[in-house]
Amino acid sequence: MKSAVITVTSGKGGVGKTTCAANIGSALALLGKRVVLIDGDIGLRNLDIVMGLENRIVYDAVDFVEGRCRLRQALIRDKRAPELYLMPTAQTRDKSAINAQQMKHLCDELRSDFDYILIDSPAGIEHGFHTCLAPADRCLVVTNPEVSSVRDADRVIGLIEAAEKGPAHLIINRIVPARVRRQEMLSTEDIAEVLSTEIIGIVPEDENILVSTNRGHPVVMNGKSPAAQAFHEIARRITGEIVPFQPLRSSGSILQRLFGRA
Amino acid sequence: MNILQQLFGSKNSADTAKQRLRFVLIHDRAEIPPGLLDLIKDDIIAALSNRLPIDREGVTVHFDQQGNESRVLVDVPLLNANGRRRKAERPA
Ligand SMILES: Nc1ncnc2c1ncn2[C@@H]1O[C@H](COP(=O)(O)OP(=O)(O)OP(=O)(O)O)[C@@H](O)[C@H]1O
Ligand SMILES: [Mg+2]
Repeated sequence: MKSAVITVTSGKGGVGKTTCAANIGSALALLGKRVVLIDGDIGLRNLDIVMGLENRIVYDAVDFVEGRCRLRQALIRDKRAPELYLMPTAQTRDKSAINAQQMKHLCDELRSDFDYILIDSPAGIEHGFHTCLAPADRCLVVTNPEVSSVRDADRVIGLIEAAEKGPAHLIINRIVPARVRRQEMLSTEDIAEVLSTEIIGIVPEDENILVSTNRGHPVVMNGKSPAAQAFHEIARRITGEIVPFQPLRSSGSILQRLFGRA
Repeated sequence: MNILQQLFGSKNSADTAKQRLRFVLIHDRAEIPPGLLDLIKDDIIAALSNRLPIDREGVTVHFDQQGNESRVLVDVPLLNANGRRRKAERPA
């Protein structure tokens, strides 16, 4: 199978890029794909924490790029899936420590060993974003159902198309179905329409995300929480499978859902 | 955390979060990659095991920071003649 470099990006910060990258990467690996997750957020690394692999870091992507270690030494194997690896980045350097050319080279070195190379991009549209965009074969744009993040997603989608890295696919994260029903929240249809971009996943607001991040166990690794289910479906769509969109479950109780307070 | 909690994973996740946070902050601030401690541990085991009956499983290496003082804390338990962990002598 030909390898694919997939960059997860958003424009606005804090919308769930790292959470999506960790869970989608893990879900792909649980499908038996060979996956490497690259933390592209130099200076503010977090993918190691979300994956629970922070205590295994010795070398990182910047060490490899600057010739202080071999490629394999900068990869941490995650034993929870057959072929899942994390390439952490440096916490005490800045975004310019790796340039677009170096990121492309890094991904090319990984291509022969992996089916999917997922890059967790930093927020913003500056240097770090362009570095992570450069090697991309496809892009996932994460947005929340909220005006400012959709607006920033639009800007990023434009930049992705200008760089001929499109078409971008959209992940709408932190949807609260009850609030959409009460018409307090933008619906997924509204967002897809204004962005004229195809949706690849809809991830509900899910309280299990916080607990899983506390523990360093991505939600897809255990359990069937609503967000986990959404991430598994996104992974299958990435492999090319046609997976119909399920009506959304909220993580609240049945009573909360009945009374619209989920 | 007691054994039961470990077995059933019932330690609350906020405590786990706090512990992990403390750990990463110590390493971020000191610019010492956490995984380095495991390599150091292997080196220590290799260096000492030629000369002393050490309990390899029991070796711990920690990085600690108090104020602006940093230190690496190494604990190497010894085995007694029957290959069991040697208990500290208690005063009678
Ligand atoms: N579906 C969800 N349900 C509940 N909480 C979520 C969900 N997705 C993300 N979060 C929470 O939102 C916060 C931001 O998520 P995350 O760190 O993944 O965003 P990010 O886009 O990577 O941020 P940054 O731009 O800083 O890199 C985290 O506290 C995360 O646990
Ligand atoms: Mg992030």
